Amino acid sequence: MNKTMTVDILSSIKGAKPSDTVSKLFEIIKNANTSSTNFYSKNHQNAVSLDELREDIVIESSDLEKKIIIENFPKEKKGYLVVSKVIEE
Amino acid sequence: MESQIREIHQQLVEKKITCTDLIQAKLDLLKPNAYNTVNSLLENLALEKAKKVDEKIKNKQEIGLLEGIPFGIKDVYMLQGTFTTASSKFLKNYKAPYTASAIQKLIDAGAIPIVKENCDSFGHGSSSENTIFGAVKNALNKDLVAGGSSGGSAVNVAKNYTTFSIGGDTGGSVRQPSGYNKVYGLKPTYGRVSRFGLLAYASSTDCVGPIATTIEDVRIVLNVISGVDAKDQTTYLSNEISEKEISRYDDIKTIGYFKNFIENEAIDATIKSDFLASIEKIKSKGINVKMLDFFDSETLVSTYYTLAMAETASNLSRLDGTNYGNRMEGKNLKESYSSTRSENFSEETKRRIVGGNQVLSQGFSDEIYTKALSIRDQISENFEKDFQEVDIILSPVTPNPQPKIGESLKNPLAMYLSDSYTVGFSLGQLPTFTIPQGTATGIQLTAAKNNDELLLKFANFLKEVL
Repeated sequence: MNKTMTVDILSSIKGAKPSDTVSKLFEIIKNANTSSTNFYSKNHQNAVSLDELREDIVIESSDLEKKIIIENFPKEKKGYLVVSKVIEE
Repeated sequence: MESQIREIHQQLVEKKITCTDLIQAKLDLLKPNAYNTVNSLLENLALEKAKKVDEKIKNKQEIGLLEGIPFGIKDVYMLQGTFTTASSKFLKNYKAPYTASAIQKLIDAGAIPIVKENCDSFGHGSSSENTIFGAVKNALNKDLVAGGSSGGSAVNVAKNYTTFSIGGDTGGSVRQPSGYNKVYGLKPTYGRVSRFGLLAYASSTDCVGPIATTIEDVRIVLNVISGVDAKDQTTYLSNEISEKEISRYDDIKTIGYFKNFIENEAIDATIKSDFLASIEKIKSKGINVKMLDFFDSETLVSTYYTLAMAETASNLSRLDGTNYGNRMEGKNLKESYSSTRSENFSEETKRRIVGGNQVLSQGFSDEIYTKALSIRDQISENFEKDFQEVDIILSPVTPNPQPKIGESLKNPLAMYLSDSYTVGFSLGQLPTFTIPQGTATGIQLTAAKNNDELLLKFANFLKEVL
């Protein structure tokens, strides 16, 4: 299925449209001369190498941290945290 | 060496002032919020900590250099139990469940946080007008913008409401407001300071940066906040910078500046002549000066914003009102997401999210996003070449003086272009330091990666020369 998604759907922002100002910036990039043809030549240098990744560890949150996370939750009803109705497409 | 931190420390140790009086005095200065710098005051927390410092002094216990020193925090850093709003409607009532690593290090060293500071929402802006807390006013002239996005932090330091503040710099957000308000502001080498607990804007250029009134205070704070952090895998081990080392500058032989930054029509005539006059003064001290070639402003700004928008679209996708933030209920989950995001993001933030999703989408990504990455590589290569020839690169911080409040919001393209002198160094992940001298909006010093020490050293030299 070939489904085109518009920027308002992609961004989850109602009525969002591409901005003329931002489009001007993109035009400059499109028209820029690049000496390198290998777009991926060096960017991987900014990433952390696999050897340097730390082990996955589970850190238990403190009681205060847990309390604040619950406090930040937008909606609570009868002791339960309420989320919006999930739909399947 | 001149230092407010040392001066206050001495006064506390010699019992000329109490920490409680010091903190109360700063809180009293901040309370009227005359420059719109305050998002929230940390009154109870600060006074409680001050009391403990006073008790230590009373009991003749030794106190550390930063103990009792009041500081401000840009409102994009987590500080457990305090509101962390990013100056946004979205997170207006959000409380930080934990504390950012850099802030925790300062607290562990005894510094006292007194205020969460106003800024552009999510760091999206160069004037600190894109905020729900009111436009921050310039410390030198209230009709002018404070700069941004760390405008509240720079103004608080300039007005001496805080001894130092911690800003965040993605494309110039520490350096530009520091220049606009005539204080020192450092963007350290990317990875020198942990970003853990900083609300992410563009993760590949986000940096934690100190703002202060003296070079020595910047050095003291930088040493405390630097270092490897397992919670931010891009951090690296750096050496402590000593006061002695930055007091001598005989190893700086050659500096450079970008010819095209100065020889173009966009730069203000006075900023240009003041910058060139500064270069002449440096030359007269026997330092060689080289003119360097660099990318044009439009390419730099477009590359930066393309990548920053892509990264911020990704980073802010987590803000959907499900787990935290100001949720707007819809008839189903998707509707809730879009209502929440439409209602709570500012126009500037929406513009950047939409732009980011555009460049990351099929059809655009190769033509724009990947090409921007390639230009970024070329910019880095250019810097590597430059730093084989020169020790430091000098540039104005901005092409024009501070605009009036209201002007930047009317013309987003002009606002983006006003970042043209700062964004290139961000893309290069280089250390860059604004000093409040040389032009109406200061001068930027840049060195090769992990050479932050050289900047403080040269800034000391310029303090004497300019």
